Amino acid sequence: MRVTQGMLSNNMLRNLSQSYDNLGKYMDQLSTGKKVNRPSDDPVVAMKGMNYRTQVTEVEQYQRNSSEVHNWMDNSDSALDKATQALQRLRELAVQASNGAYEESQRENIAAEVDQLKKHLVEIANTKVNNKFIFNGTATTGTDDGAGNLVEPVTLDPNGTVVTVSTNTDPVLIEVANGVKLGANVDPNTVFSSDLFADIEAFSDALKTNSQDLIGQSIENMDTHIEGVVNARADLGARMNRLDLIEDRLSSQLISATQMMSDNEDADMEKVIMDLTTQESIHRAALGAGARVIQPSLLDFLR
Amino acid sequence: MTSTFHGLEVAKRALFAQQAALYTTSHNIANANTDGYTRQRVNFDQVSTLSGSRSNALFESQIGSGVEAGSIERVRDKFLDLQYRGETSKLGYYGSLASSFQQMEEIMNEPSDTGLSKSMDKFWQALQDLSVNPEDSGARSVVVERGIAVAETFNYLSTSLSAVRTDLENEIDVTQKELNSILNQINNVNQQISEIEPHGYLPNDLYDERDRLIDQLSNIVNVKVSYDASGGQPNPMAGGLATIELVNESGDSFDPPVTLVDGPTKQVNEVTVNIDDTLGKRAVSSITVGTSTFTGADFTSTGKMQALVEAYGYQDAGTVKGEFPQMLDALDELAFNFANEFNAAHRGGFDLEGNPGTDFFTVNATQAGAATSLDVLTTIKNDEDLVAASSDGTSGDGQNALALGSKIQDPVASLGENTSVKSYYASVIGKMAVDSQEAIRMESNAGVLQQQVLERRQSVSAVSLDEEMTNMITFQHAYNAAARSLTAVDEMLDRIINNMGIVGR
Repeated sequence: MRVTQGMLSNNMLRNLSQSYDNLGKYMDQLSTGKKVNRPSDDPVVAMKGMNYRTQVTEVEQYQRNSSEVHNWMDNSDSALDKATQALQRLRELAVQASNGAYEESQRENIAAEVDQLKKHLVEIANTKVNNKFIFNGTATTGTDDGAGNLVEPVTLDPNGTVVTVSTNTDPVLIEVANGVKLGANVDPNTVFSSDLFADIEAFSDALKTNSQDLIGQSIENMDTHIEGVVNARADLGARMNRLDLIEDRLSSQLISATQMMSDNEDADMEKVIMDLTTQESIHRAALGAGARVIQPSLLDFLR
Repeated sequence: MTSTFHGLEVAKRALFAQQAALYTTSHNIANANTDGYTRQRVNFDQVSTLSGSRSNALFESQIGSGVEAGSIERVRDKFLDLQYRGETSKLGYYGSLASSFQQMEEIMNEPSDTGLSKSMDKFWQALQDLSVNPEDSGARSVVVERGIAVAETFNYLSTSLSAVRTDLENEIDVTQKELNSILNQINNVNQQISEIEPHGYLPNDLYDERDRLIDQLSNIVNVKVSYDASGGQPNPMAGGLATIELVNESGDSFDPPVTLVDGPTKQVNEVTVNIDDTLGKRAVSSITVGTSTFTGADFTSTGKMQALVEAYGYQDAGTVKGEFPQMLDALDELAFNFANEFNAAHRGGFDLEGNPGTDFFTVNATQAGAATSLDVLTTIKNDEDLVAASSDGTSGDGQNALALGSKIQDPVASLGENTSVKSYYASVIGKMAVDSQEAIRMESNAGVLQQQVLERRQSVSAVSLDEEMTNMITFQHAYNAAARSLTAVDEMLDRIINNMGIVGR
């Protein structure tokens, strides 16, 4: 084959530009840390990349949701703990009063404490976390009395008598994994029911009227209510356990999803640096060879 | 009996012939870097010995009469031209296609942290946060803002793609002008050749010019070239008049054949690309070449023009086809169905006040242009409490926000079997990526092949300075030797004329 100067210099130019192209590609990979910078570099990687990104976003979001559920449950649990203590105290008082050895003034003192404990329980039932009533079903911002006034879960009249008790028993559902919704709250009717407040008021009345029968009855009533709260806490505990399991799964999912995303699209730095170095020396050699190829012609040796 | 001055004549012819060869050599050297130049060489012919009718002296008639520069010929291989032009057409086609895909990829910008996919993900996240804190006005504002971001991303993608289409329309116009200008130039060169060839001359420079123009032409459309001899008394080596025919991707004639430049009649059929908006969107309606008319789908002549028409979009059976229109349609379909599904779910819920939800997005009544005009309802933009997060009207219920989020991740019936908004979009991006990769791959293949053919063509036709130098020395020596032989004859004649018959003087 006949070879001319023009062909040599054209080839050299083309090879040099190809070499620059490769250098640019490795530079891109190195500076972005990604194997692909546009979908056409590798359509499969690009499509998978979109899915993996969505997966990572999902898992991160579910983690955020589950920590919110934790928040609900922890606050509900501590509120129920306080409610149990108050109910225990009420039971103690009922046992004391059932002795029959107390005088009227002493019973009235007990009745005053009972009234205060009732108010304490009302306060617990009206607990707000993050500006939300946690014992009001899904009506977390309270309800409306029709005249634009806020109605709290449990309301008292000026005499301290319970007037209304929340009837919203809907669970607050939060998605903690794809399609898995966990109830975050405690059904207020199982703990702060109208029966509870009626029974406490009946106990207080019984103390004031010294009705031993009714005081005896109150011990039983308090037992029933303590049992209700304990049951609610047991249920809550079971759900917390489940949440812990889900959180464990989410955190391992996050690791594997991030890992998959990284494996899919991140450049292997060692390999890229090696490739770049190799390409650099090839480029150097190509430039050197080019300089030699261009220089001499027959002209240089003719006189 | 040969003439007394035969030797002088022979030497003179030799001087002239070598001189012509030296001139041609320096012409070659001068044009070593001229684009499209073909090296030339002088064909030396022996001058035939004429024996006079009365002469019967066999010996004298065998003495040669020297050399003459017969013709100056281009060193070129027509078969390589054919191959080169075929590859150039493919390179023109795939090169142009690949660059439009690249623009599309840059606009779609996937996978990234700023594309539509990411803004959808963020919208979904905001809805999840809202489902956890449905009574929180902060979470509501985030949903509204992310919803606006999704709508704006749709708007941006759609208008950017449309802007590239406008550029493509200009490029089609420019390419059409370039194509027609080349056709007219070829016709002019044909005209000049037809005036020179009948006298027996070889207009090598015009042949080069014409070949260069045809090379350029083959980048835009695929052509077949045939030659007709000029009238008069052309040299047997004359190139003739070129007739350029438009051919399809496999190099076959169309039915009926379409001529771009007719050599013998010197007629040019200009190419016109007609663009109109009869289907509601500007697109190529037809391509006319002289009296022939093609639809966009029929115009299969590989080259830059076909690629531009395919990327820009053409009318086919009542719809607009092509890479950019299809991407725009896909975005419209996505925006339309997503917005309607989302609105339906939004209407099924209740806002913070417990009132039934309204629409969330404002969207066109028809699919066309849905991506460009997608927006969030102004009332919702002004009052984030109107976001229908609740499924029963209570403030703490976020179940409808979850239902809204599921419109992004879960299958949406109107997009097809088991297809969610995200997976539909991923498949659109995947298709674009595969097509683009294919175009880039084919471009690089055609580039390599074209380079190889060019190499072979240069191997035949390009000027080698070393070779010309060698030739120059050869011709110079031959010239010097011819001058020397002239001197020898001169001395011989001097002997006869001046030094003969002078015995004793």
